[in-house]
Amino acid sequence: MAVVESSPGPLLLLDGDLNIVAASLSFLDAFGIEPAAAPGNPLASLGGGEWRAPQLQSLLTATLSGAAKIETYEMDLRRPGGEVRHLIVHAQRLVYLDVDNVRLLVAFTDATDARASEKAKDDALRRNLVLLQEVRHRVANSLQIIASVLLQNARKAASAETRGHLKDAHSRVMSVAALERQLAGTGEDHVELYAYFTSLCDSISASMIPDGHQLALVVEGARGTVDATVSVSLGLIVTELVINALKHAFPDQRTGKITVECQFRGPNWSLSVTDDGIGMPTDPAEIRTGLGTSIVEALARQLQATVKVESARAGTRVDVTHTQVSLVDGQAADAEATVAASRAAQSK
Amino acid sequence: MATNASDASRATLLIVEDEVLPAMALRDELEDAGYRVMDLTGRQAEALDAVRDCKPDLALVNIKLHGRDDGIALAESLTAQGIPVVFISGQTSRARSARTTAIGSLPKPYNAADMVLAVGYLLAHLKGDESQPRPAGLEVFDGEPDTAAA
Repeated sequence: MAVVESSPGPLLLLDGDLNIVAASLSFLDAFGIEPAAAPGNPLASLGGGEWRAPQLQSLLTATLSGAAKIETYEMDLRRPGGEVRHLIVHAQRLVYLDVDNVRLLVAFTDATDARASEKAKDDALRRNLVLLQEVRHRVANSLQIIASVLLQNARKAASAETRGHLKDAHSRVMSVAALERQLAGTGEDHVELYAYFTSLCDSISASMIPDGHQLALVVEGARGTVDATVSVSLGLIVTELVINALKHAFPDQRTGKITVECQFRGPNWSLSVTDDGIGMPTDPAEIRTGLGTSIVEALARQLQATVKVESARAGTRVDVTHTQVSLVDGQAADAEATVAASRAAQSK
Repeated sequence: MATNASDASRATLLIVEDEVLPAMALRDELEDAGYRVMDLTGRQAEALDAVRDCKPDLALVNIKLHGRDDGIALAESLTAQGIPVVFISGQTSRARSARTTAIGSLPKPYNAADMVLAVGYLLAHLKGDESQPRPAGLEVFDGEPDTAAA
C-alpha cells in the first residue's frame, strides 16, 4: 500500500468490487480528490461521478474477471467545472494465493498536454508548409519578372553586343529559375542533377540555339543528388560553359554537339562540358577571356573545385573537379595535377 | 529562338496575367513565333468579355489575377466554353489540383522560349499530333492523376 501511495504517477489499487484499497497522493492531487474520500469507497463514488463512466467500469470489470487483458485504454475524464482531461489507463490484475483476494492495479497517464503540444506542432508544421509555398511562389514571380525585364531589354537593345550580354544575363537568371522550379516540384532540399541539367539545357537550347542551326546539347551521367546550394552553383557553371561553347566553338552555323556530363564518386564529383567545335584559340589572351570566365572560376572556388581547360579530340573540354576525399586508385595524383594546372592558369 | 511558324499558322492566343512585364515578354515572344495574341489582361471579367468576340485556340492563364480574381475560376468558365487552358502560375499545387479545368501547366519561373515550344506542343496535342517532344517543365493534364511530367 505504501508503494502505491507514494507512486509519482497517478495509481490506484482496487479490490474485486472496484472499491479503493489505496490511492497514490499523485492521483488525489491530479484529480482534485480529498484524501479522506478515497480509501474504502467505490471508485464510482469519487469526485462528481466522473469515475462512473460505463466504459471504464466495464473495462475494469473485464480485467478483474480475467476475461480481457487490456494494456492501455484511452478515456476522456469530464470533471464538473473542470476541463476535459485525456487519460491513458493501464489496468493490471494481481492474483494472490488466496483467489478471493483479487486486486486491480490501475495507472493513469494524463496525455492532455502531450496531445495539445502534438497538435500545436502539427499546426505549426502545416503553417510552415503554407508559408514555404507562399515564399516559393513569390520567388518564382520575382524571377519571372527579372527574366522578363532582361528579355525585353535584350529585344530593344540597339547593338548586337549589348543584346548578347542581356541574353546571357537572361540565361543566368533562367538557370537559377530552372532550379527553383524543380525544388518547388519536389518540396525537397536535394536536387537530382540529371533532371535539373536536362531541364536547364532544354531551356538554353530553346532560347540560345537559332532555328536551323544543327547543334545538339546533351546531358550524360549526372545520376546523383546534391544539396540545393551546390546545385545552384553547378547550374550557373554549366550555363556559363555552354554559352561559351555556343558563342565560340561553332561559328558560321557549324554543326556539332555539346555534352554536359557529371560523375560522382562518393563525396567527390566532376563536371565536364565538352564540345566538338573549332577548338581553343592559340592566343592565350583569347583563352582567358573566351573560356576561363571569372564566373566559372569564382563559383568553382566557392565549391572548392578546380577548373581545367584542355583541347578535346575535336574541340574543347572544360573539367570542374571537386575532390573532397583522395581515393587510392591514382585519382589523388590526378587531383594534385589538376590543382597545379589550375594554379598555373590563374597566375598567368 | 526555336519557333514553329507553320504550326502556329496564325493560331490565336489569350494571355491572362496580372504581372504586366512577364505578360509583355510572353506576348512579344509568341508574336515573333507567328501567333496572334489578343489584348493583354489580368482581369477575369475582361478576359470573358474578350472571348465573347473572339474565341482563342488556347488561353494562357495565371492563377493569381487582378484583385481577388482567380485564374482557376476563369479556367472553369473558359473550359466550359470549349477554350483550352494552360496554367502559367508558380502555384503548382493549386494548378495540379485544378487539372480537370486545364490541359496543362508550365509553372513560373518559365523560360519564354519554353513557353513558345509548350504552346506549339499543346496545339498539336489538341489535334492528336504527339510527334513533338514535350518541352522542359510542361505538365500535361490528361485527366489521369499521375501523368504529370517531373
